[in-house]
Amino acid sequence: MNKELEHSFVELLEKHQNIVHKVCRLYTNNYDAHNDLFQEITIQLWRAYPKFRGDSKFSTWMYRVGLNTAITLYRKSKRSIKTTEFDTVQFKIKAEDYDDTEEQQLKLLYQAVHQLNDIEKALVFLYLEDKNYKEISETMGITEVNARVKMNRVKTKLRTILNP
Amino acid sequence: MDELDLLKKHWQSDGVEDKHITTKDIYPMLLKKSSSIVKTLFYISIAELIFWILVNTLPLFFSDSYNQKLNEMYGDGIVMPILAFLSYAVILVFVYLLFKSYKGISVTDSAKKLMENILKTRKVIKYYVIYNLIMAFLSMLVGFYYAFKNDPNIKTVFQDAESGTFIVTAIVLILFTGLFVLVIWLFYRLIYGILLRRLNRNYKELKKLEV
Repeated sequence: MNKELEHSFVELLEKHQNIVHKVCRLYTNNYDAHNDLFQEITIQLWRAYPKFRGDSKFSTWMYRVGLNTAITLYRKSKRSIKTTEFDTVQFKIKAEDYDDTEEQQLKLLYQAVHQLNDIEKALVFLYLEDKNYKEISETMGITEVNARVKMNRVKTKLRTILNP
Repeated sequence: MDELDLLKKHWQSDGVEDKHITTKDIYPMLLKKSSSIVKTLFYISIAELIFWILVNTLPLFFSDSYNQKLNEMYGDGIVMPILAFLSYAVILVFVYLLFKSYKGISVTDSAKKLMENILKTRKVIKYYVIYNLIMAFLSMLVGFYYAFKNDPNIKTVFQDAESGTFIVTAIVLILFTGLFVLVIWLFYRLIYGILLRRLNRNYKELKKLEV
């Protein structure tokens, strides 16, 4: 593959890396596994990149490849040795917004999201990324109605986890 | 406020990344090898193709007595070439089907489509294994039949023995062959069961939504 293509890909990935980090955060619970999944998503993105036509946004295209890798393609490699689990607080609330109760609530919410299954996490991820139901249904390969129904069920499930 | 909306508020504004990856970090990543399930499946299918080809052909190359026995048993020199031709044709068909289904796997498809395509590839491998196991079962039985019919040593043994011995021996041989095939089949089920456990679980979850 030519250098120009490689360069443009690396630049785009560096710019949008937050998406990949977020996927990794949802699907792994320690630093080694996070890095390992990040690596695998990068490889999959790079392999698919020559076919990326630019008719969709790079970020939208990344959601699909990232989630597909996390849900379907990724196999824990030997590199990912289990080390200390993440601190459950994933969000550094900005100083001016800081609210102790809110931080506590977020912590519990994040723990609850981690208890969901792979598909439910994918739906939550796309919802958090502010994707509409059409995009969610296209990414997952289900109908829009089913995406809505499932999302409501996930919300109920989260509520049950939070208030048993 | 909805619980998820609270999370969303922070999710959007917050930089989750605590380790910013620079372009310098990304370049070496592009050279690393993938450890994806498709790659593992690909290696397994290649190993299976080679394994069964070797099982079918190695004795022909390395054992003269085996060749001689085959010629004696199937005699006329027509059956063996036809069988060999058919088995190579079947292998070629499987290679083509595997190649086609691997080409169909795309990481940019929807999650469900991607899973379906991987499961389709796994099915091709499954059919190849079933074909080989059936062939192994049949050729063992046919081998035993011809051995009983044409091998002079075996013939003498059974001529001297009581009539029931032959039937008992035949039943034991069939059961033994069946057991052998069953053990190999269970072994495959175990390997694929472990490898595709997560994929199957997620695929079922997506399918469940359609009901």
